[in-house]
Amino acid sequence: MNAYICRYCRQQSDPSAPTCPMCGAPVDIREHVSKTGWVEQPPIRDMAKIQFGQSHCQIAGTTVPVAEFSLTQQDWIYFSHHVLLWTDTQARLGNLPMRGGWNRKLAGMPLIMMQAQGPGHIALSDNHAGEVVALPLHRGQHMWVREHRFLVATGNVAYDWNSNDVWYETGTGDDKETHYPMGQFGDTFTAKDGPGLLLLHSPGNTFIRDLAPGESLLVQPTALLYRDVTVRVNLHLEYPRSGFAFWRSYSYRHIWIRLHGPGRVAVQSIFERPEGGETIQRHSWGTSHRW
Amino acid sequence: MTCGAPLDERDKVSDSGWREAPRLRDMTEFRFSSSTCQVEGELVPVAEVSLHPQDGVYFEHHVLLWKDESVPLQTMNTGGKRAIGGMPHIVTIATGPGRVAFSRDAPGELVVLPLHPGMELDVREHAFLVASHSVQYSFIRIKGLVNLLHGGSGMYLDRFVTAGQPGVLMLHGNGNVLERTLRPGEKILVEPGGFLYKDSTVTMQAQQMPIKTGMFRHGMYLAEMTGPGRVGIQSMYHHHSSE
Repeated sequence: MNAYICRYCRQQSDPSAPTCPMCGAPVDIREHVSKTGWVEQPPIRDMAKIQFGQSHCQIAGTTVPVAEFSLTQQDWIYFSHHVLLWTDTQARLGNLPMRGGWNRKLAGMPLIMMQAQGPGHIALSDNHAGEVVALPLHRGQHMWVREHRFLVATGNVAYDWNSNDVWYETGTGDDKETHYPMGQFGDTFTAKDGPGLLLLHSPGNTFIRDLAPGESLLVQPTALLYRDVTVRVNLHLEYPRSGFAFWRSYSYRHIWIRLHGPGRVAVQSIFERPEGGETIQRHSWGTSHRW
Repeated sequence: MTCGAPLDERDKVSDSGWREAPRLRDMTEFRFSSSTCQVEGELVPVAEVSLHPQDGVYFEHHVLLWKDESVPLQTMNTGGKRAIGGMPHIVTIATGPGRVAFSRDAPGELVVLPLHPGMELDVREHAFLVASHSVQYSFIRIKGLVNLLHGGSGMYLDRFVTAGQPGVLMLHGNGNVLERTLRPGEKILVEPGGFLYKDSTVTMQAQQMPIKTGMFRHGMYLAEMTGPGRVGIQSMYHHHSSE
């Protein structure tokens, strides 16, 4: 294997292969970079294979791609139970022990993680038109992923979940409500004992960008797909100028998250707008701008 | 009779034997009986049928996208049980001559299944798009309420049978569609929501997995499919319009 670094997964790869064996990205295409510096993540080609351990994963389909795993006896994967599409009768399925089940339930996160131990075949898919994004993690690498975007990880990738600490409150008294624009919790994955593979499902198209130290960027909270843990996040509120002062302070505001470099960030092109238009009474640490 | 699949592309088969349904090219045209069907669009494909005077097609009424004013419609009597099963109560028949077009409302693929005489095919609810009039239609109940309560595949499957005449059946699969042929006795476990169609020779029953999927739930159910025959699955099974 030559010393070729895949421009998408940043791992040493094989330029003679039709697709990167580490992440499935095509190696024979030009990089698509927008004028503002976003790199378009090329979709994994139909039937491309990604190698990990003694096993491999094959991506089938392009509208709602299926990740089909051929597991050897030594390898196992874990995933949320609702992404399981099919399995053969050989693969051994079980529950992955999880901490904080009640908090996960309250936060609307998947309560149960399943694991599948080889040998056998098993396939997973999410329920949105979009792309599978493969992130091979080198030993010791951490990655933060927004909730509900995780598809599957190999057994040697440790999973944890932590509060995002990005929130705001509306209403008072009994009407008080706390909102979490990017979800209450985020998933964190760490390749502890060796290299591992993490697959995400990204609705729509995916774009990645490297933030320089001190560089910051505003993105829609639900558009953030993943980020290096070196990238810091805070709430940012913007109040556009309006002819009616009360209107500006009351409901005409934009809710963003501000990302601070250094590190890699990725966004998806399908996102949900933050809910409601009530006055924000209190919020997590953040910045604001009144135009 | 053809199915519109491109002939200049290789079969895409995964390592475990699933074959991707051929993605019909925009404006592909194919014939059935004396009529033609043209497929338009690729994200949410439309099936536009030009009916010969002696031909007809039937469909669930809500998939009708547009039609010539002159095309007559009539209802097929399916009995009240379809409504009890949560399926559209009315199956509508359109007869030629004239044009009529159909589509469902989710990104996916149009699956064209030409049926030779003597074939029987079972299709999950809400996946049937349109069938030619020579295909006999009925629906069957899946035994075991667990399918309804836990699996989500519903109590009924649409069954399409060809007797003496060939016919064509078109389905809409959400996301991507994959097909696999099971050998006699070969088993595979499929998420019930991902099941799309099967030959009637393939048996299907709910199989409880030794996994808890919630604090107060007993376990997870998968559909155990046993060969011989074809099984088709779709990669997206959550209907977005219901979100």
